[in-house]
Amino acid sequence: MSGRQKIPKAGAADTTTVVVLRLYVAGGAPNSLQAIANLEAICQQYLQGGHTLEVVDVLENPSRAMAEGVLVTPSLAKLSPLPTASVIGNLSDKAKVLLALGLAPKNRRRPA
Amino acid sequence: MSLQSALLRLTKGGPEQQAINAGEIDAIVDYSNSNVILFPAARRALHASGSSLLAALPGAEYRRLLVGLEPVTLKLGQVLHEPAAPIRYIYFPVGCVVCLMTTVADQKAVEVGLVGHEGMVGIGFVLGAGASSVRAVVAASGAALRIEAARFRITLPQCPSLQQELYRHTYAMLVQARQTIACNCFHLSDARLARWLLMTSDRTQSQELFLTQSFLADMLGLRRVTITEIAGRLWRRKLISCGRGWIRILDRSGLTAVSCRCYSKIEGQSVSD
Repeated sequence: MSGRQKIPKAGAADTTTVVVLRLYVAGGAPNSLQAIANLEAICQQYLQGGHTLEVVDVLENPSRAMAEGVLVTPSLAKLSPLPTASVIGNLSDKAKVLLALGLAPKNRRRPA
Repeated sequence: MSLQSALLRLTKGGPEQQAINAGEIDAIVDYSNSNVILFPAARRALHASGSSLLAALPGAEYRRLLVGLEPVTLKLGQVLHEPAAPIRYIYFPVGCVVCLMTTVADQKAVEVGLVGHEGMVGIGFVLGAGASSVRAVVAASGAALRIEAARFRITLPQCPSLQQELYRHTYAMLVQARQTIACNCFHLSDARLARWLLMTSDRTQSQELFLTQSFLADMLGLRRVTITEIAGRLWRRKLISCGRGWIRILDRSGLTAVSCRCYSKIEGQSVSD
């Protein structure tokens, strides 16, 4: 095998933990579609099936968004394992998503 | 509640507002009205996805065009273009249907084409004409996207796929116009009305059409009393039901049998789904 294999640095999540995610989107709006694509790419690369993802369309189900405290879409909620975390936006900032998923060192992206 | 007042409720400098400033947000949840308010770009994009012509474009061209598009709601009978008048806006129907009519006198006109989600109103503009050759009248109310003609002129050369789609659509409209002219000349009024109802229904994707009999008479160049007689015959055969300002198609295949073969010829050309 050539080159070194990149092993994701596990934070809270390890290979046996199922990460439960919920993504709130607004139908097929551009940022929502981008968020789904970005999240799927990240999950495929770092979680490799060790996750469950529920996509909630707030245009179809606004009451659910309100019951779960969602203010804007797209927004991602990591429900399990604890602690819960959320990321707002189209998830193009991969480091921010990894931090929320517990897959990146916690001291990595401190604001200057 | 408006988008502006919903925005004011967010925490100043919070993650939501940061994401909004970065243009990464599509919608905001309005807790006071149990509603979701879309940002203009998301609203345009959701409308555009209803236009099969725009939805078929590659991502980069789609986004380039999207910037100039404005969602509008068009009402039955609204005139979008008049013959010989300059074209100010190009329209992409989403939920509405637009009837193209050739005028022979100030009041007399006859249908030469129908445009729905599969097409664009203002195809003459694509071929270099600045003025319309037809009267474009809304035949079924609904949403559409419009773009200023001047802006469209600048954007079009940057969108080769859109150009190809529009050439294809222009050809389909030419076929439709030729077939409609032959239909108007040779076919019975019953068949013509059946064809018109089916074509409009295909474009609105609904069996229920909201229009008056006098409007139908104007579209087809028939007398109102003739429309009433035909509608009565179709009703007795349980093909349609109708009331004041509405017509419902009850039996599509039965109505297709009444219509002339022009229906299948035209629809084979223009509506892919």
